[in-house]
Amino acid sequence: MDSFLQAALNGLVAGTILALPAIGFTAMFAVLRYPNFAVAAFATLGAYGGWMANAWLGWPVVAALLAAFVLAGIVGGLAERVALEPLRPAGALTVAIAAIALNVIIENILRFSFGNDLRGYDLPLARDIRFGSLRVAPQQVENLMLALAVMGVLFAFLAFTRIGKAMRATADNPDLARLKGIEPRRVELLAVFVGAGLCGVGGMLLGLDTSVDPLTGFRIVLSVFAAAVVGGLGSIPGAVAGALLIGLAEEFATLAIAPTYKSAVGFVAILLVLTLRPRGLLGERAY
Amino acid sequence: MTDRSIRMTRRAALVAGTAALAMPAVVRAQGDPIKLATLTPLTGAGGPYGPVMAKAAAAVIEDVNKAGGVLGRRVQLVSEDDQTNPEAGVRAARKLIDVDKVSAIVGTWASSVTTAVAPLCWESKTMLCTVSGADSITQLPHQGYLIRTQPNSTLQISRVGEFLLSIGAKRVFQMIPQTPFTQTSIKTLEATLKKGGGDQGSLIYDDKKPTYRTEVDQALRFNPDAIFAAGYTPDTVVLLKDLYRAGFKGKVIGLAYSINQKLIDQVGQAEVVEGVHTFAPSPAEGATAYDRVKKIVGMENPDPYTCQVYDHANLVLMAIAAAKDATGTAIRDSVRKISQGGGKTVDNAVDGIKAIAAGEKVDYIGASGPCDFDDKGDIIDCKFRYEQIKANKLTLLKIA
Amino acid sequence: MAGWANYLVFIVATGGFYALLALSLNLIWGGAGMVNLGLAGFFALGAYASALLTINLGVPIIAGIAGALVVGAVGGYVVTMSTTRLRGDYLAIVTLGFAETIRLIANNEIWLTRGSDGISGIPGPLKAALGGWFNVAYAVGTLAIVGLVWFLLRRLDLSPYGRALRAVREDQQVAQVAGKRILRFKIEAFAISAAIAALAGALYGHFNSYVAPDIFQPLITIYIFLAVAAGGVGRASGAVLGAYLVIFFLESTRFAAAAIPGLSPVQHAAIREMLIGLALILVLRWRPQGILPEQVPPAPRPTPTT
Repeated sequence: MDSFLQAALNGLVAGTILALPAIGFTAMFAVLRYPNFAVAAFATLGAYGGWMANAWLGWPVVAALLAAFVLAGIVGGLAERVALEPLRPAGALTVAIAAIALNVIIENILRFSFGNDLRGYDLPLARDIRFGSLRVAPQQVENLMLALAVMGVLFAFLAFTRIGKAMRATADNPDLARLKGIEPRRVELLAVFVGAGLCGVGGMLLGLDTSVDPLTGFRIVLSVFAAAVVGGLGSIPGAVAGALLIGLAEEFATLAIAPTYKSAVGFVAILLVLTLRPRGLLGERAY
Repeated sequence: MTDRSIRMTRRAALVAGTAALAMPAVVRAQGDPIKLATLTPLTGAGGPYGPVMAKAAAAVIEDVNKAGGVLGRRVQLVSEDDQTNPEAGVRAARKLIDVDKVSAIVGTWASSVTTAVAPLCWESKTMLCTVSGADSITQLPHQGYLIRTQPNSTLQISRVGEFLLSIGAKRVFQMIPQTPFTQTSIKTLEATLKKGGGDQGSLIYDDKKPTYRTEVDQALRFNPDAIFAAGYTPDTVVLLKDLYRAGFKGKVIGLAYSINQKLIDQVGQAEVVEGVHTFAPSPAEGATAYDRVKKIVGMENPDPYTCQVYDHANLVLMAIAAAKDATGTAIRDSVRKISQGGGKTVDNAVDGIKAIAAGEKVDYIGASGPCDFDDKGDIIDCKFRYEQIKANKLTLLKIA
Repeated sequence: MAGWANYLVFIVATGGFYALLALSLNLIWGGAGMVNLGLAGFFALGAYASALLTINLGVPIIAGIAGALVVGAVGGYVVTMSTTRLRGDYLAIVTLGFAETIRLIANNEIWLTRGSDGISGIPGPLKAALGGWFNVAYAVGTLAIVGLVWFLLRRLDLSPYGRALRAVREDQQVAQVAGKRILRFKIEAFAISAAIAALAGALYGHFNSYVAPDIFQPLITIYIFLAVAAGGVGRASGAVLGAYLVIFFLESTRFAAAAIPGLSPVQHAAIREMLIGLALILVLRWRPQGILPEQVPPAPRPTPTT
């Protein structure tokens, strides 16, 4: 029983690492209607951005997270403008394929610049806090709080600000939004900036637990896609729910099946959800 | 100081010698260079290892060229990327063999790449030196065109087991990703521990995940005295952090290619890695090649793969000198003449080539071990260096 | 045979495997407007199927290859069953996960696949008899198979079936209204496409005599997307041409990268991979119709009724 509860806790913790990139991925999808497969690279970029801010400039963790957000967001936005947007007339799938190419390009720019060495943050690692026989990592509780806070901010932004409302309108119906005088290009660019930025923040948090190297984002990318699809592609609360669910499923699979098949859990979850509930657990509305 | 002054005089002598032979040397330098290749992973899962391996081989060759080359010919190094992928590795090897016409390929890392590339090498009579650890590799029908400096897993893991027993760890939990030596590793450690009255638990994990909390819980339920972390650097980093978080107070041991200075720097926090043991194949105490590798790659603790590629390059170059011929077959036939069987002990190709030219028999003692090979291409025996991390530094415990 | 000639023969054969993969992708991407990001997974299915059939069961190579076709088609059918009803973006994610899962199974089910050790000693057809000419013969044979598959796909393309597929690609709703059974069309096209990718895998295994999980990494799928995009989406001969362009590009960048002085080997490697991604984006942007643009054959005129 204890091992079951502990695995559940671990699953939630693992899920929080997936939550932010999953929100980013799904938010970009909600507005742009194509899966931006460059999320792994955005996450890796964020990990490097945070690392440069922290290890080179000595910034504390929150400031470094901000640096991760800004770097990944700017690169994401630029790439959207320069490389992806012009391809949109060719269809969503063409853009998605170009995003995969973009992923390869960014990964290798980082490899060219920093090599393959593993880098680490200049931040202390804390021991777990124990409650009876259960244990929780304080950092990962912070991650969960952070993911929830980001989600809250995102909601407030979408619900109450003018540009946020415009974003939702664009996500629901771009043509109608244009009629209402919303400039879709600005909204789209903002969505990519925020989405890629969130992937960047997620990437830095991931880097804290693992390491900063050209393949950092690659470690979670399939689970992130699974989280977004399970939650309903385009739904932000769905992405959070999906992330926690995939996190839980991966940890339980470790106990029930074999730890080596962790990476297949996401795939099985996608197949199950698509078969039973084709629009994802929470549907596809942005929020 | 004396060491340096001796080298100065040697260098002076060499300069004088080269000056005397200046004309013919220039003529010869315009002849075909001897071509060697590194085929290491520069991208993909082996990415953390391949670049410094290529660098070590390049440094050896640069030294040899500075000292006048081999057989009066310059040595040229071609470095290709195997992408940690046998398909890409085979394409690269074909280019190296057919277009560059290299005599030897050194440094293949992933067992899958070595297995894929080996047939091309023996069919084209090209020498292949590898660091891959899977037992199956030396059992390929390679006709002698393959040697490996990595001790096979059976030898390596039984020594780990004996060492663990010697430091009082009887219950050991092995955490290992799925690799070609996983089964051997689990079987061998189990047998070694049981012989000494101990016991093993084991778990095979997925090496690409961001956390191993549940895996660690499973390990701790075994109530182990020690954990054997048998992965590579990127996954071992995560594992060590999660062991620390879980408050594991027992011993931890890992392979030195995984728990290396880069891992220590990456973690950056002394308590997380304090007391962790590592082991690596090594020559006997007092051998000097390891110190040369430190200098040549500019690292305080070069990892075992770097040491092995250093040895590959030196062995190949001296074999060419001994055979007075730079073909792959010549290297195959003479590599054991310079690697073992007594003679003047050398730790680098520059000295070795000079001694060979002077008609001396040499016996190379490398940075990864004595580099003596059996007929299958496996190393006959080697010592292991056991180190322990103390205050973020790898400190030598013993060589045995 | 040695030297450059040997290298070129090898490249021609390898290009043939890529060409088959490109034909496979072209059938569904160009033909039905679906994508398969798990091409590497079907490639692996075929390679393992044929290798295991010939080694474990001792069936002749030709039967092994036939087995690979069947396994590939079944795999394609299973993957599309739960997803074709849905949009292409879901299929893209599912196929991506599929390829990783296949690689995971190949790595872990040691009793069947020999795990990460891989399977070596896969027999090649007439290898002993051909001796040094094996590679040449195999390259020629591969080209012949590429030609055959190209021919069959061309026939398919010109048939009413091909027109129906294109209708599905251009506008699902119209096609549905016109009474085409879209779902069945898509699943069939995907299964045929998966079988061709598996055929490429089988041929790869018997040529190189070795398969291992590491071979089937996602990068190869990107190569094939570049091939199809460069050759012209929807044009079978374009896919073949594109495949050879990609392999030429992959190999020539070795020589080009070496010409840039002052860079470390890892930087050369990074530039080579970067160029692949860059080329794909540039092709999609500047030459969306590829080098050989699709030629849509005119529909047969309705015979005038009197």
